[in-house]
Amino acid sequence: MSATGPPGDARPATAAGDVRVRGAGAAGDARPGGGVRVRVLGAVRRVVCLVALPALLVLLWWAVSGSSFYLPGPAAVGRAFAETWFSARLLDDVLPSVGRLLAGYALAALLGVGLGVPIGSSPRLRATLEPVLEFFRAVPPPVLVPLIMLLAGIDTPMKVLVIVSGCVWPILLNTVEGVRALDEVLADTCRMYGISGMSRLRWFVLRGASPQIMTGLRQALSIGIILMVISEMFASSSGLGFTIVLFQRQFQIAEMWSGILLLGLLGLGLSLLFRRLERWVLAWYHGSGAARA
Amino acid sequence: MLEIHDLRKVYDGRGRHVEAIASVTLSVAAGELVCVVGPSGCGKTTLLRAVAGLLPVSGGEVAVDGRRVTGPPPGTAVVFQEYGRSLFPWMTVRQNVELPLKEKGLPAGRRRALVAGSLDAVGLADAADAHPWQLSGGMQQRVAIARAVAYEPKVLLMDEPFAAVDAQTRADLEDLILRLWRDLGMTVLFVTHDIDEAVYLGQRVVVLSASPTTVMEDLKIDLPAARDQLTTRSLPRFGELRGHVYRQIQRARAHHDDARGTP
Repeated sequence: MSATGPPGDARPATAAGDVRVRGAGAAGDARPGGGVRVRVLGAVRRVVCLVALPALLVLLWWAVSGSSFYLPGPAAVGRAFAETWFSARLLDDVLPSVGRLLAGYALAALLGVGLGVPIGSSPRLRATLEPVLEFFRAVPPPVLVPLIMLLAGIDTPMKVLVIVSGCVWPILLNTVEGVRALDEVLADTCRMYGISGMSRLRWFVLRGASPQIMTGLRQALSIGIILMVISEMFASSSGLGFTIVLFQRQFQIAEMWSGILLLGLLGLGLSLLFRRLERWVLAWYHGSGAARA
Repeated sequence: MLEIHDLRKVYDGRGRHVEAIASVTLSVAAGELVCVVGPSGCGKTTLLRAVAGLLPVSGGEVAVDGRRVTGPPPGTAVVFQEYGRSLFPWMTVRQNVELPLKEKGLPAGRRRALVAGSLDAVGLADAADAHPWQLSGGMQQRVAIARAVAYEPKVLLMDEPFAAVDAQTRADLEDLILRLWRDLGMTVLFVTHDIDEAVYLGQRVVVLSASPTTVMEDLKIDLPAARDQLTTRSLPRFGELRGHVYRQIQRARAHHDDARGTP
């Protein structure tokens, strides 16, 4: 229908625009470039959608800034961001922080999945351990920092341990749940066809529990970032958390804000990466869910 | 090939004592296709799971190929009713069929040949790279059958495999099973609640009583060996056999209800 629209119609991307692209292709429309234009407009629309709200927020920030010493404007924070983080601090503070985060996260994943599989497989083990595990999960990890400092000192091992101590629980408990809920018919299938030991673990248990394992890993990622910062606020001399506290104490307010901004961006980047990973690992799950619907 | 002697199964749990199978004695010769029918809830699936070694028995004995069954016997494949849950959704059709062969330790070349051959036999050669959930129910059950056939079993156990597919697909799958059985010379124990299906497929039909289960009748099906959906099902003898089995199952049900004191 919209293939009959006026040729010079420059209505920005609307639903009608999309219909026209399809209609034009099907009818072999003789207007070259019409489809391309709509595609470009579509891309522009997506970028606008993505940027609109952040831009509005920055504008708001700019409008209210300057009213207080503690709230510098976007330009000042942007300048501070470039000066502070595109410098030796990137190597001295940011990378070690991220490294500890990834190390602690990886350890927690190994530990959580490694313990979760046997616990999930054994009803007796589960009945014994589950109340205790729920208790440990309920303990807020930051309160463990003083304890872990006593046990592991104040260096890297302590910080990694703090991250592990918080990240491991969601991964462990979700793995237990995923392994417990594995399909019985598939388990019988494995028994009938002699699929046992490592191949059973690899092809059945881990894959079957992967939706829950990924849920645990996603929860653990945000906990990990929080604990990375907190572990550096105690008795530390480097790292992102330490630096932000330092700026605050020295009244370098713009620099302090730039650190908060960096943490937000870091969290955003990691969660986007994680979503990629999840889409790849769980392609079958989303596909079969869509097929059932 | 398959010997079931005085099999008993009692479920004991928290103050409940349920006698599911009272005593079943049954034997299936090598290369035979035997169907088991019975009223619903009569322990057909329990019987099949006991034969498959998936369920410990309370008494009696099951032997496959002369060896007493304590776990899944080697050389035995099962096709479950729940096709949607017996295939690995994270694997392609090809990987699903191939995995048991890998576990068996077959070399890659042999595996490829078996996978291609069995998928071809069930008419799914083109779907090898699809995932199970991209296929219809009937096609998924074909994949499960292909996986069983590629495994080269001596004994094939089928647990109401076509209960959840539509009538047309069901007729196609029945003929597929007959063809595979004739071509490959497997021993088949086929559990179903469908009387027509049992008479159409079986060389023998074993009629079970209601729970606690015993064998009511072991009926030889004296229909011509070559079966065909149209001609076989319209034979007068087919109707007689079908009616006979039907009456037996009605009797089993009535007997069961009497025993329970319901009118």
